[in-house]
Amino acid sequence: MPRFREKLSLLWLVQHPLVATCILLALTMLLPYTRVAERLKLLTFLPLAHAATDVPEPEPEKLSELDRARRDLLFERERVAQLAVENAALIDALADARLRTDPDTAFAASVLPKAVNARVIFHGDASTWRHCFWINRGRRQGVMESMPVVSGRTLLGRVFMAGDDHACVQLVTDPGFAASCVIVDPAATGAAVRGVLRGNASALPHFPRLELEDVPLGDSVVAGMRVLTGDFSGQFPVGLNVGVVREVIPQAGFLQVRIEADLDLASLDVVQVLLHTRPEFEAQALALMRKGKK
Amino acid sequence: MTAAHVFLERSSAPRYRWRLVFGLGVVCAALHALLLPRLHLQEYTPDLFTLSALYVGLYASRHGRYWPSLVLGLLRDFFSMGLLGTYAVLFSLLHKYCGRLRTKLDPDRLPCALFFGFSGVFLVNFGYHFMLAVGGNGVGWSVALWRCTATALVSAPFAVPLFPLLHWLLGLLGLQRGQGGLRNF
Repeated sequence: MPRFREKLSLLWLVQHPLVATCILLALTMLLPYTRVAERLKLLTFLPLAHAATDVPEPEPEKLSELDRARRDLLFERERVAQLAVENAALIDALADARLRTDPDTAFAASVLPKAVNARVIFHGDASTWRHCFWINRGRRQGVMESMPVVSGRTLLGRVFMAGDDHACVQLVTDPGFAASCVIVDPAATGAAVRGVLRGNASALPHFPRLELEDVPLGDSVVAGMRVLTGDFSGQFPVGLNVGVVREVIPQAGFLQVRIEADLDLASLDVVQVLLHTRPEFEAQALALMRKGKK
Repeated sequence: MTAAHVFLERSSAPRYRWRLVFGLGVVCAALHALLLPRLHLQEYTPDLFTLSALYVGLYASRHGRYWPSLVLGLLRDFFSMGLLGTYAVLFSLLHKYCGRLRTKLDPDRLPCALFFGFSGVFLVNFGYHFMLAVGGNGVGWSVALWRCTATALVSAPFAVPLFPLLHWLLGLLGLQRGQGGLRNF
């Protein structure tokens, strides 16, 4: 009887490597829709987020000189981040005022949305291909998936997955990252050139080299031009700094534009999550209609 | 070795299997996430995780090769931003690759260890890029080819000290090498 039962069992089929591989592949395709994996990964980093947030502030007298200097440095960085946001808002207000008087001078005079300051609690990934970091702010503070993450006015990445009190940020260097960008010449007032920024898994920690895709061959792009986020998709606020053009290589039908990103991973302690959500299709259409009426 | 010894060895249950797999996985994940990026080696960062999976594929007993490889891959997926199951699939295929070549090449010999290190790391990384490309996130095949070759070239020499180190650690746990040089974990 036990032998008969053994024959009926289908466990051997599941244990076969090829069958299990097929099951895993199917799960790999299905799991992103159910978001089970994301929830599990967020759970893994939850203790780390709590550890980073719930640390009681020690008395200054008990701290060593090095710890005191480190604490002061963090405090100053938070203050710098706050000032950078304020500065960006003032610059935007100024640009907005200029735009009202002369609508054709600026292509991207935008006001940055409200931001949530966050501390980087973990930086690194077990895979050499993926690039991300974790922050100690989540849904409770209004952080949602796909929100842009900046340092001052420099684009760092976007929120990939968000838990209640922590979130994972996908860096601009990650292969899954893409953003609509424009190349502008700060010295001249020529038309902006569009392109798509894609992460290339560059592991350079300071100012990594990235590439812009889909830049038409006829456009005039030279080294030294600035790359900013564009208004094509509405995924990011317009005018965030991305990098500087370093090299332009003409290819068949398009330009290969190599840029040096403004991202400096080594100095990332405090970042800002912009509470910006991608506008709905109807909202975009309305904005276009209003623009047309003007 | 007598037939009785062989029978006993084959019929005995694997020892320390999950403790070893989880320990190895967490240590490798910590090394990859915390230590190696700080060395700023860029695309020349050695892939120690794949080398560990390679060790499991080459030296674990025939009872304990597939599931440990798969779980090791799942652990790597768990500590990574990518799709859950990507490395699990790749490591389970790596164990099949090791199983086929194990009978032809002796991994205890230096050139063979180097070959296993290079080919295993290259295949896993290229496979990972293939999965990225399937999802529309590829970085370009020529770039990927160069990157995988560089990583494999850097990783292969690490197989030479890593395999004896793991042999020594397993020896400390009392897992002696059995028939065919395999260890019962």
